[in-house]
Amino acid sequence: MSDNSNPHGQTTGHVWDETLAELTNPPPKWWMLGLHASWILVVLYTLYYPSWPLLNGHFKGLAGWTSIGEFKKDMKEVTDIRAKYEDKLPGMSAAAILADDELKNYVIRSSKVLYGDNCAACHGSGGGGNPGYPALVDDDWLFGGSIDLINTSIANGRKAMMPKMGGAQLSTAEIDKLAGAIHNGTVVSEPLYAAKGCIGCHGPDGKGMAALGSANLVDKIWRFAAKDQLASIKATIAHGVNDPTDPSTRKAEMPAWKERLTDIQIKKLAVYVHALGGGQ
Amino acid sequence: MEETKYDFDVIRWFSIMAVVYLVVGTLVGTFIASQLAWPFLNFDIAELTFGRLRPLHTNAVIFAFGGCTLFATAFYSVQRTGGTSLWSPKMAWFTFWGWNLIIVAAVITLPLGITQSKEYAELEWPIDLAIAVVWLSFGLNFIMTIAKRKTSHIYVSNWFFMGMFVMITYLHVVNSLAIPVSLFKSYSIFSGVQDAMIQWWWGHNAVGFYLTAGFLGIMYYFVPKQANRPIFSYRLSVLHFWALMFGYVWLGAHHLQYTALPDWTGSVGAAISLAMIIPSWGGAINGMMTLSGAWDKLREDYILRFMIMSLAFYAMSTFEGPVMSAKSVNALSHYTDWTVGHVHSGALGWVAMVSAGALYHMIEKLWGIKMYSAKLVNIHFWTSTIGTVVYITAMWVSGIMQGLMWRDYDEFGTLTYTFAESVAAMHPYYAMRAIGGMIFFSGGVIMLYNVIMTIRKASTERSSTAAAATA
Repeated sequence: MSDNSNPHGQTTGHVWDETLAELTNPPPKWWMLGLHASWILVVLYTLYYPSWPLLNGHFKGLAGWTSIGEFKKDMKEVTDIRAKYEDKLPGMSAAAILADDELKNYVIRSSKVLYGDNCAACHGSGGGGNPGYPALVDDDWLFGGSIDLINTSIANGRKAMMPKMGGAQLSTAEIDKLAGAIHNGTVVSEPLYAAKGCIGCHGPDGKGMAALGSANLVDKIWRFAAKDQLASIKATIAHGVNDPTDPSTRKAEMPAWKERLTDIQIKKLAVYVHALGGGQ
Repeated sequence: MEETKYDFDVIRWFSIMAVVYLVVGTLVGTFIASQLAWPFLNFDIAELTFGRLRPLHTNAVIFAFGGCTLFATAFYSVQRTGGTSLWSPKMAWFTFWGWNLIIVAAVITLPLGITQSKEYAELEWPIDLAIAVVWLSFGLNFIMTIAKRKTSHIYVSNWFFMGMFVMITYLHVVNSLAIPVSLFKSYSIFSGVQDAMIQWWWGHNAVGFYLTAGFLGIMYYFVPKQANRPIFSYRLSVLHFWALMFGYVWLGAHHLQYTALPDWTGSVGAAISLAMIIPSWGGAINGMMTLSGAWDKLREDYILRFMIMSLAFYAMSTFEGPVMSAKSVNALSHYTDWTVGHVHSGALGWVAMVSAGALYHMIEKLWGIKMYSAKLVNIHFWTSTIGTVVYITAMWVSGIMQGLMWRDYDEFGTLTYTFAESVAAMHPYYAMRAIGGMIFFSGGVIMLYNVIMTIRKASTERSSTAAAATA
């Protein structure tokens, strides 16, 4: 028979690999109590919450808890706080919201995350813009900086077109001349500006036209900012913007948000963007 | 001689590869952790981006490092506790080469973006088939070796290895059921929420049966062996073994609280998760109490230190996990870095540390020599411990902060923070996590060096004794 003695206590009598043995100690008392507490806990937890599957459906739980119920309760908590303001928004225009200090304050606060999650990826978290994406904090507006125009820009998106001027229209030397003048902010005194028709869209004062989305050429704020700004200007003149006939054309498009955001969210964002600093 | 009684050759190679994969797996992990902190490290090269390398990291640590460790320790301890050689050494070599080829296939396909998109089961269907075949070759060999054992009873470590084998076979096969559309693309036969449920039924039990049951098998052989003490309680081992075997399979649903998965499924998963704390602790205390009366050994025995520290981490993370699975905590913790921290307290603190202890023990026995440097073992112990603590502390802070930022709203009932702000707030903790990972990785490098030097020392000693014998 096996020898159950071991210097460390009573063993089961089996020995493996010369030294391996098992003592006959019972599990610690607290552990056994814990083990019983564990199955009791399973019973209690599954009594409280919806749990065991039944033949048709499942046990609903004594607390009447559901995850969708919890969600709705939590949402009600915040919508109740918001209701005081939100209830007024549907009937108001963005301009009217802007004129109401209390609502404007609320809308700006509640748009921070809306802006951060939807707009900041292109326009920067503070509205400072990114290369190829216009800044929203300055007062240079391609399509107009009034509250209503900002609202329209967000809802419908914007896509302007400048035809490519390279090749048949302008020689390389002419492009260089125009680009140099734009770079200096003196393009209106450059004879080619009127002669080649730039003036038609960018205006006699060179400040562009909001109705067309044509850029202001005299303020030295660059829609296509680059390290070598002169080269960037030349490229824009040569290839145009959104010109379907030129594969090297600039691509510049603000998508429409009305499919993705509600009218109220768009109004809120218009107020928020207007208040970033440059609203007119 | 032990060498003639047991088949050790294949085990030596599994052990060496385990240490190599420890270094490789944690290197990739450290790199992708650094990518999260310093995104320029993605280098705009698709094959090197976080999304491609993250599955490579998880596969490398779980299946390459963990797998080689499990095969080495299982084949080693099953022979010794049965007093018999392997049923088929040839088949063990098949397992070795097959498993390593699968790892090579993973290293090639995952960076190329060839994936089933199932977490911890990314490898495409031809590799899944290979895994099944090689895994079965391991299981068959293991069970047949038990069948031809010379001892009357089956030692407890072998129950755990067998439990792992049976359940992982079942889980891998069901979760990987897919319809191939080409050599490199297949679609799961499950869809929608059923697919998610099967995925997490597998995902959590890769943790439960592979990283827990398998490594408890390691613990039950190597802790009493290294401490030279009998297991504290036979009865405790029986109770917690069966509690884990029957309990763990239910837990997967706790990964899908507050989703399209029906509420009742998540509740059952959470309830049984909470009931797993005590059975898990059963394993931890059975290992720790085995040391009772011999705690002084920890002062000199650095290998034992690894094992005991691993049990402390095991006890901690098996408490943390169930708490996180409860609905009310999960509402905060889910989708945050807390989950990542929890996984790593188990993976680094428990799995990697108990493996390191077992590998050190085994390498000394397999090559019949003490480790080249006990001091380096001790340094490895401290780098592992400190690296793990730095890592999980960073993730606790960042995870809980994320959860709180995401749900916070102001007096207007509107969200306080944008998502991007929560990302920016994570940056210092991502850097800290990367540093914790680097510390842990450096320990792996030290281990590899120590192992190489030990093997070199063993071979020079063997050739000099051989020379002395012939002189």
